Amino acid sequence: MKELIKGNEALAEAAIIAGCRHYFGYPITPQNEITAYMAKRMPEVGGVFVQAESEVASINMVFGAAAAGVRVMTTTSSPGFSLMQEGVSYLAAAHLPCVLANIMRGGPGLGNIAGSQGDYFQAVKGGGHGDYRLIVLTPAYVQEMIDFTILAFDLADKYLIPVLILTDGIVGQMVEPAEFPKDYKPNFYDKSWALTGAKGRPKNVVRTLWLDDYGVENNNIKLQQKYARIKAEFVMYEEFMTEDAEVILVAYGTPARICKAITKKLRNEGYKVGTFRLQSAFPFPEYRLMELALEKHVKGFLVVEMSAGQMVEDVRLSVRDYKPVNFYGRMGGVLPEERKIIEYTLDMLKGKVEVN
Amino acid sequence: MAINLKQIAGMEAAYVKGHRMCAGCGVAVFVRELFIASKTAGVDVVIANATGCLEVTSSVYPESAWKYPWLHVAFENAPAAISGVERAYYALKAKGKIKDDRKVKFVAIGGDGASFDIGLQSLSGALERGHNILYIAYDNEAYMNTGYQRSSATPLYADTTTAPFGKKIPGKTQTRKDLFAIAVAHGIPYAATVSIYHWNDLITKIQKALTVEGPTFILSLTPCIPGWNMPVGDAVSLAKAAVETGYWPLVEYENGVYKWSSANPKQLKPIEEFLASQKRFAKLLKNPELLEKFKQDVISNYEKYKKLCGVA
Repeated sequence: MKELIKGNEALAEAAIIAGCRHYFGYPITPQNEITAYMAKRMPEVGGVFVQAESEVASINMVFGAAAAGVRVMTTTSSPGFSLMQEGVSYLAAAHLPCVLANIMRGGPGLGNIAGSQGDYFQAVKGGGHGDYRLIVLTPAYVQEMIDFTILAFDLADKYLIPVLILTDGIVGQMVEPAEFPKDYKPNFYDKSWALTGAKGRPKNVVRTLWLDDYGVENNNIKLQQKYARIKAEFVMYEEFMTEDAEVILVAYGTPARICKAITKKLRNEGYKVGTFRLQSAFPFPEYRLMELALEKHVKGFLVVEMSAGQMVEDVRLSVRDYKPVNFYGRMGGVLPEERKIIEYTLDMLKGKVEVN
Repeated sequence: MAINLKQIAGMEAAYVKGHRMCAGCGVAVFVRELFIASKTAGVDVVIANATGCLEVTSSVYPESAWKYPWLHVAFENAPAAISGVERAYYALKAKGKIKDDRKVKFVAIGGDGASFDIGLQSLSGALERGHNILYIAYDNEAYMNTGYQRSSATPLYADTTTAPFGKKIPGKTQTRKDLFAIAVAHGIPYAATVSIYHWNDLITKIQKALTVEGPTFILSLTPCIPGWNMPVGDAVSLAKAAVETGYWPLVEYENGVYKWSSANPKQLKPIEEFLASQKRFAKLLKNPELLEKFKQDVISNYEKYKKLCGVA
C-alpha cells in the first residue's frame, strides 16, 4: 500500500529494509531527517546509530564498519560530502562496500540549503584523489529513494564498491506517495574477506597502501577491471516518449521531472519531444545516448541541470558530434524555468540550433 | 574599565537590529555584551564566525548585522581563518603598511558544534600556536541551526533529535565535554566561563580576554529558545538559574591560577529551577533515578571547579 512519505525518510527506512544496521551521521541540512530517523529507528531494530563529531569521522566510521563486513551507510549534503572525500577515496581503494548519500544543496562554499546539482563532477569524476569511481544512482522520485537505496546495498556488496545515492534537496524534502517492498529479504553476499578475527583461518587484509614497486598499480588495475565489468553489466535510465522524438531533453533528479512534464505538454500541442532521464550517472548510459543520436528522427538534445553544466559534458562525450547538444541550467539552488526550457526546445525543433 | 548599567544602556551596539535570530535568543544578548566589552576596553575586534545560528542569522545576503570586520568560512575552521587574519595583520604592520597603533584583538566565535566537535582540532591548533586571538564558544548545548541534534556539549539525558529520550535509550547518555579544561590545558594566559545574565561578570571577563596578549578563551552559556524548548522570554532567567543551581559555575583561569567568580551563589538552589521550564528535560524530570544521576553530575562538576579555585 502506498503511503505519504518524505524522500529522506523513505531513503532511511529503505536502508533498514535492505539490512543496514550500522548508520553513522552528522548534522547538515537538507538531509537531517535521515539522521534523526536513524537515531530513533536503529535502536528499535537492534542496529547501531552513532552521531560523529564531523563528516571526516562519520565516513571513517563507515570504513571501519565496512571492513568488518556489515551493511553500513552514511548520508550528508554537499559541504559535508566535500569533507568526506578523503575517506571516500580510501573506501574505493580498499574495495569496501558501503552506501553513501549526497542530498545536494547550492554551492560552492557554504552556498545555501536549496536543492541543487552542482556536485555531479565530484560524484562521478572523482572528488577524492586517485583513479577511482563510485556507482552513482540518481533518484528523482520518493519511490526511487526506496528502490535505489535497496539496490545500492546489493550493488555495493556485489561489486565491493561504495555506491552513492546522488539527488537534490528537493527530492530529499519532497513528500509524495510511495511504497516499501513487502516481502523483501536482504540478499547478503559472501564476506569472507572481512576483518572478523583471524582465529582458525588465514588472516584477511584490507589495505590502501603498498610501498613496493607495483603494488599500487596492481590495485589500480583491479579497480579498473572492476569498473569495466560494472559498465558492461549495469546501467539505468528512463526513456519517456523518445521513440519518435525530434528533440530529446536529458536530465536527472528534479529537472528530469520538469522535463517530463514539459514533454507531455508539448506532445499535446503536437511537438515531437521526449525526455531521457538518467537513473545512474556512473555507469553513464553512453551507448544508448549514442544510439539515439544516430536515429534519423533525432534533431538534437537539450540538457537541463541545476548546475553550470556538468552532466552535459558526459552527454556530449556520448553523442560526440553526431547531433547538437544544447544546455540550459540554473545554479545555486534555483530551479530551471519551464518557459525557458520550452523556448530552447522549440528553437531546436525549428532547426535554430546554436550550440551554447 | 569598571562599568555601570547606565553607561552601557545608551551605548550604540555594533551588532545591529534586523538580524534573523529567534525572538529572545540568548546568543544575540551575548554578542551585544561582547561589543560593550570591546568598546569599554578600548580594543577593536576583527571577527571570524564559524557556521552556525549566529553566522546564518546575522549575514543574510546582502545584509549584515555586524559593524565590525567580519569573516565567515566554514563550520570547522574559524580558528584557522582568524589565525590567517592575525598573521596577515602583523605582517602588514611589520612592513609599515598598517600605521595606526590602536589595540586590536582577533576574535573567532562559534557555537558548541563548531567549538566542541567539528572545529576542536582547528581551535587546538590556534591556541597552541599562540596567536593573539580570543576564541569564544557560545554554548547552546546542541546543533540548533540544523534542528537540535546532540553535540558533545549536550547535557546528560537531554532530549535531542539524534539522541531522543525513548524507552530504550534515555536521551544523551554521555556527560558534557569540559571544553574549558581542554582550552586551559593549552597553557593559554586567560580563560573564563560566563553567563549572559551576569552582565557585569561577563563584560569584565571579556575585557580581560581582549586585553591580555596571546590566545584567550571564553565559554558562554547561551540558552536557545526552540532547542531547549522553553518559553520565549526565558533565555536570560535560565542563564541566571544555571548559575544559581550550580549547573554553570563561573570561573576564571589567569596565568596559571583558577579564580571563583563572586557572582557564584552562596547557597545552591535546587536543580529543578533550571530544568523545569525546558521541555528537553520533561522526560528526565519524570524519572527520579536518572534525575539523581543528573544532579550528581552537576554537583561533581561544580565541586571540581570549586576545588580548583581553592574555595571551601
